[in-house]
Amino acid sequence: MQIAAADGAARLPPGKRLLLALSDLWAWLFLAVMVLFFVVAVPIVGSATFVTVRNSQNILVAIVPIVLLGLGQTFVIISAGIDLSVGWVMSLASVLSALAIRGAFNAGWPVWLAVVAGFFAGTLGGAVVGFINGVIIAKLKVPAFIVTLGSSFIVRGVALLWSENTTVIGLPDIRAYGNESVFYSVRGGDHAGFYFLHPPPLATNELRQLDRILQWPVVVTIVVVAIIMFVLHRTQFGRHTYAIGGNLEAARRAGIPVDRRIIAIYALSAATAGIAGFLSTLQYGAGSAVIGDPLLLSSIAAVIIGGVSLFGGAGTIIGTVIGSLIIAVLTTGLVMMSVPAFWQFIVVGVVVIVAVLIDQSRDLIVGRNESGAET
Amino acid sequence: MSDPVLSIRRLTKRFGGLTAVKSVSWEVYPGEVVALLGDNGAGKSTLIKCVAGVHQPDEGEIFFAGKQVHFARPIDSRSAGIETIYQDLALANNLDVAANIFLGREKKHRYLGGLVKTLDERAMRAESQTALDTLEIHFPTLTQPIESLSGGMRQAVAIARAVYWKARLMIMDEPTNNLGVPEQQKVLDLIRRLRDQGVPVILITHTLPDVFAVADRLMVMHRGRKVTEKRTADTSTEELVGYMVGARDDTRPAAAAVP
Amino acid sequence: MKKSALFAAAAVAALALAGTAQAQDKIKIGFLPGTVDPFYQNMQRGVEQAAKDLGVDVVTQIPQSWGVEQETPLLNALVARGDLNYIISAPVDTTQMVAPFQAANDAGIKIITVDTFLGDGDYANGPVKFPLSFLGSNNEEGGRVIADGLAKAIGDKGTVYLISTNPNVSSVGAREKGFAEEMKANHPNITVIGPDYDLDDQAKATQMTAAVIEQHPDLAGVFGTNVFSAQGAAAAVTNAGLAGKVAIATWDASAANMENLDKGIVSQVLAQKPFDMGYLAVEFAVADAAGVTSIPKHVETGFAVLDKSNENDPNFSRFIYK
Repeated sequence: MQIAAADGAARLPPGKRLLLALSDLWAWLFLAVMVLFFVVAVPIVGSATFVTVRNSQNILVAIVPIVLLGLGQTFVIISAGIDLSVGWVMSLASVLSALAIRGAFNAGWPVWLAVVAGFFAGTLGGAVVGFINGVIIAKLKVPAFIVTLGSSFIVRGVALLWSENTTVIGLPDIRAYGNESVFYSVRGGDHAGFYFLHPPPLATNELRQLDRILQWPVVVTIVVVAIIMFVLHRTQFGRHTYAIGGNLEAARRAGIPVDRRIIAIYALSAATAGIAGFLSTLQYGAGSAVIGDPLLLSSIAAVIIGGVSLFGGAGTIIGTVIGSLIIAVLTTGLVMMSVPAFWQFIVVGVVVIVAVLIDQSRDLIVGRNESGAET
Repeated sequence: MSDPVLSIRRLTKRFGGLTAVKSVSWEVYPGEVVALLGDNGAGKSTLIKCVAGVHQPDEGEIFFAGKQVHFARPIDSRSAGIETIYQDLALANNLDVAANIFLGREKKHRYLGGLVKTLDERAMRAESQTALDTLEIHFPTLTQPIESLSGGMRQAVAIARAVYWKARLMIMDEPTNNLGVPEQQKVLDLIRRLRDQGVPVILITHTLPDVFAVADRLMVMHRGRKVTEKRTADTSTEELVGYMVGARDDTRPAAAAVP
Repeated sequence: MKKSALFAAAAVAALALAGTAQAQDKIKIGFLPGTVDPFYQNMQRGVEQAAKDLGVDVVTQIPQSWGVEQETPLLNALVARGDLNYIISAPVDTTQMVAPFQAANDAGIKIITVDTFLGDGDYANGPVKFPLSFLGSNNEEGGRVIADGLAKAIGDKGTVYLISTNPNVSSVGAREKGFAEEMKANHPNITVIGPDYDLDDQAKATQMTAAVIEQHPDLAGVFGTNVFSAQGAAAAVTNAGLAGKVAIATWDASAANMENLDKGIVSQVLAQKPFDMGYLAVEFAVADAAGVTSIPKHVETGFAVLDKSNENDPNFSRFIYK
């Protein structure tokens, strides 16, 4: 007797197969439809155009913290965990990097070196928190929800304590690092053209014509996204993250060092939040002990819109990036259409819920079977 | 007869005041399928978990491949060559066939002197295909998550995994539970193929037709004790039921007389 | 202005009678601000300066964060000491804190509220009458002051953007209201866009302001109702090459905002006068102890608008919270 299995998806009728393909791609489709909508609607409401170089760059800058918090969160949620501490870890990292930059600068270091010190202070400071979270979750078997909720209070306290009064000021002017970019484009005037690394000497009244393309925080984020994609989709650590989220017991029995992996997952999550905190300090020239708090929910929303299942085991990094883009495009588009603030909240909320519904309907379409008795 | 692969000597396991396994001795030889029978709570799962390293026996010894072994953790038993397929299959349903076969032992490319390692998906797929071929299991593709597969096909993946990793003893816990009849036949077929390749199989079950279909020998437990050990050919369904409910007991000759 | 005159009279009376008060038992005052922040730290300095000048004792307790559960135990602890004559405090809730302060009052300690109030703040005719006085500044009035300052900075015409933290927060809500109303009433050539809410997230404030600049390239000014809203707006303005061309106003002369003023990130900072609030509150307590009965039930301490031209002028720089 021969043993053969039909492809799960191939067993479905063509109509359902189409639906399934659509549900896989829905985030992309939704993004595309939304951009098209704003391309048409924004000029109708006002005089602006939605797709401009500057607008695209504004949106990229806007998603930096959401993407960075979302990257680590993607790992954590794929492993069937949750990290509620990322917002406050970002705040702590913002404070730590500001203190490091100020301290290094005051000690006579050049500004660029002080900025490097700030990067390490923020990233490693964050990673330490995540490491401790991971140890408590993996070794002491306390649910991640509780551990990260508790640690977020501790981190908040420490951040407020070290920052003394919520904003760390007195840094050298580092906003150039946060706001300058790889490419510059001048739309008109005597200097019209495209420039690499150094903008042309523009008079103040020409500055409006200048577009910054790929600002440094965006570049850093792209590099981090590339590294994290590689780790999740191409390495053993990534594979084990999926396995832990899919079936913890199976992962354990397969000999995966589950505890070590969980600790690494939470450390990674906090480290990306730490980078977000560092970049915030760079962009605004000051550290703040409360900056990351409101970002937690946006980042979880981005992860879920991007198709990461809250039950663990499924999701991609590119999905999280698309989810972040959807939130940012929505905000920019609605503000440009002068939609009242409350409607903006409502629309984002509806999109999150639709995302979860679509994720669940996937299961209905496939008809995930446990028994296999119908074969 | 050759030397036993697995030899259990006077194994006892207690949980508080309850003695789950009472001084059981048992041997499994190469190339045979042996069934472990018993009602719920007879102690068969506990006995097997001692062999698999989930529990540690309170008394007695376990010899595997001629050497005395002490399995502190499941991974110890596994690395010695004992593969246990539990009812929940111990597979990650969100991963594909190849990823499951290589779970925890992934093949890697090495770059920069081993500093960067990536998954060698192509090699894992190719070798998975080979392992499946030797068992005559055919999947149209190895790249889909196994959650879309039927229960029987997932059993096949678990068995292929054990075969690939050169299991020297295979323990299967109720492998045909929750399967439709055609699927059950496929799994039993796989068990025969395993035996033909020289891998001994311990089949834990209370489905008697399965026992008669594939098992060469069998052992019945009742309330923690071994009550009989027979060749399948020498017994009948009726007799086995008697042993399983405690009406028959070879260790107490007097009891055997009373039906 | 008439209120200021009134307070001056009271202050004079207080100072005149201070000697008498000293002759009796030394007055002991409890000071309980809302939380730890630069605003209240500045107020504390006012309280301590007045205590030194007028020869009274002050006991200070500061809640670690803003909340009824944080403030009430400290208030009860102050009452339990049994040696205080007055408590100067910023109640963290207009309704929930009435009962605890009533209990303190019933224990024979007179209450003066600063910055925030109990009930509706009208201790003459409102639902809560027991506190001696309320000294504070009015958020709505502050919004109007900022509107006038911003209008002046942009030549009284053009488009301005109002960006705030969260909807339904009474303090920033009143700032938004005063700002929008004043622009509508007295600056007809100015169009106000917003309010939008950044949920206290600078990155979102940057994004929203950037979107508004795309839509309205003629944007002339921004009012960010707190430090994050203003910093976020400033980043967008800088990115768009409009630094120095779009005036950015914000609330509170905290060190962070003053640094932003120095760096040219914001162009106007509205200072409240917490030092004055604290100083006056102590003076009122001393006057009351001396038997003055005409202490005003409500004093608005007013505002100062700081910008680059006046931030080093001692008449203005004294309002910087430090």
